[in-house]
Amino acid sequence: MAIVELDGVKKVYYLGKAEVHALRGVSFSIEKGDFASIVGPSGSGKSTILNLVGCIDQPTEGRVKINGTLTEGLSDKELTNLRHKTVGFIFQSFNLIPVLNVYENIEFPLLLGRDRPSRKEAREWIEYLIEAVGLADHMHHKSNELSGGQRQRVAIARALATKPEIVLADEPTANLDSKTGQSIIELMKKMNAELNTTFIFSTHDTTIMSIADHVIRLLDGLVVEDTKARAAAGGLS
Amino acid sequence: MFTLKVAFRNISRQRKRSFLLAGAIAFGMLVITIINALTGGLVGNIRENFSHALGGHVFITGREFNERGQVITKIRPDERLDQLLEENADRIQAFTKRSQALPSLIFGSKQTMHLVYGVDFHEEDKLLGSLVVTQGSLDQVLQAENAVILPLPAAERLGVEVGETILIKLETLTGQHNVGELVVAAFVEDQEQFGLSAAYVSRAYLNSLLGLGPHEYQMLNMFVTDLDVVEEFTRTFREGLLMPGEEQEEEEPNVTVSVGGVPLEPVPRQERITRWEGTRYRVMNINQIMEPVELAVGVLNRVGLVIFIILLLVTMVGITNTFRMILLERTREIGTMRAFGMHKSQVQQIFLWEAVLLGLVGCAAGLALSGLTILVVGNWPLNVDPSLQFFLQQGRITFRLSLNDLILNLVLVVLTSLLAAYWPARAAARLSPIKALSSHT
Repeated sequence: MAIVELDGVKKVYYLGKAEVHALRGVSFSIEKGDFASIVGPSGSGKSTILNLVGCIDQPTEGRVKINGTLTEGLSDKELTNLRHKTVGFIFQSFNLIPVLNVYENIEFPLLLGRDRPSRKEAREWIEYLIEAVGLADHMHHKSNELSGGQRQRVAIARALATKPEIVLADEPTANLDSKTGQSIIELMKKMNAELNTTFIFSTHDTTIMSIADHVIRLLDGLVVEDTKARAAAGGLS
Repeated sequence: MFTLKVAFRNISRQRKRSFLLAGAIAFGMLVITIINALTGGLVGNIRENFSHALGGHVFITGREFNERGQVITKIRPDERLDQLLEENADRIQAFTKRSQALPSLIFGSKQTMHLVYGVDFHEEDKLLGSLVVTQGSLDQVLQAENAVILPLPAAERLGVEVGETILIKLETLTGQHNVGELVVAAFVEDQEQFGLSAAYVSRAYLNSLLGLGPHEYQMLNMFVTDLDVVEEFTRTFREGLLMPGEEQEEEEPNVTVSVGGVPLEPVPRQERITRWEGTRYRVMNINQIMEPVELAVGVLNRVGLVIFIILLLVTMVGITNTFRMILLERTREIGTMRAFGMHKSQVQQIFLWEAVLLGLVGCAAGLALSGLTILVVGNWPLNVDPSLQFFLQQGRITFRLSLNDLILNLVLVVLTSLLAAYWPARAAARLSPIKALSSHT
């Protein structure tokens, strides 16, 4: 079952009078539970795709379907609700809320929606996530008391807080050394396997992309390789 | 409540900045609180001192026609009045019965006209407590029947010393001349400029000179237990003392101005006089006398409010600029929260909560500072000009802050803070998540 579907998606940015064609007609789909990697050089459109899938941006042309919902024409409120229920984010520079500690940073997405779990359920789930990302000893630390790797672990736990269908990670290892980066990807893979959450991450690190079970390669705003599509086509042929 | 929690944490994020902003609000709050409390205290003290000097909060005078057809000021023993006093006993702290005259006081070749109250010194503890004795002793008035307490300026005009005897020359209620002797018991500071220069003698003695009986008097003055109900209390007596067929007079003070704010019997206008039987009463209260004072204090309070609003406006500019800066600093943070599903309204709420918290912290600090200032200043005995003693309570400045003023100031601060933060908060809420996330701050 496709959890993400992009069909003929184009995205044009306007920089003054200049038009920047970030995506020139991208189509692909990602299945539920995939550990998908979007790879490509800088400016190839990786972040743009993640922004569209994350419903924080809208395509200039084409259709984006998230968990069966077409994002086209949705109001800001509807997009916000869709994001809250369906998508979790992991950012390159972690983006933790500095005034909140580890527990509170993970808790905060749970406090935003209307359908909140009970206090007990939330606590158990957050403690499970903290345990799972190996930060049980740092539960009450503020982000400035953590290393880069630890911050990204918090970000992973936070992305999973609302039990979203999809977690988007925009170059999650870019600000980390290779060893820590590797451990972060392994952690994401582990969570992907445990929770069956779809992970989509952008990277240009070839060692990291090798762990992905679905690789979409971009170049100049176009998909030049989609391993699952190829496999499907191979299977059909 | 999450937004409140984040707002609360954000306040402590840039401590120096928050401190300065809250400090500015606190300063404004300090100024207005001190002004409000000071004027409140002044009014209270003036009212209190007036009440002591006049011998009550509510004043009843009686008028009747004498045999010659003249209107005289006199209250006879009256069952209606006694009944009202009995019925309202729980609302009356104390009452005094006074006579009064505007006689010539003569010592040697010098004489001066001065208001004289005939009081029962044994019943007027409040009066004796409020007088500031400069020479002599008040004990003597309790013993000698014709002892007089003289205000210092009157004594100076007469050139008299304590213990010496002066003459008192007056007209009786029937218009005849009468003369008596008074022994000067003490000199007291007076507040002539406030129209309260009065000498005090025993009521029995003054009555004998005026031609009043020993149980008669001219003014019944009452101290009420609760000044808040003084108007209703006054109305009760006004209605209770109406003669059959008598219409209630308008509540205009109509006070004789020749002796300042003292509620002497007004001079009746001829065209209004139609003969009546028995005693007609006039009931007045301290509020009517305090009206001009309160008017002046009201102006002072308004000036204070204007200063406060100017301070708030300056602070408001500071808050707006600070919040615009905060918006720039937290753009990416806002983007992150929006990405995770925070609605625009919740982003706005965080900013507005911060403003409210800043306002409240500022108010709390301002009130604490005001309290401290009031405590220090209020306990500082002032050696000021005696005339200023009228504004003080036992030589000290007192402060009274009404809850209404306090709430009004709090509401003003919170509203101003909200207004100042509104536009930056709106701008923060309107940030698109994608733009906010791509920000470098």
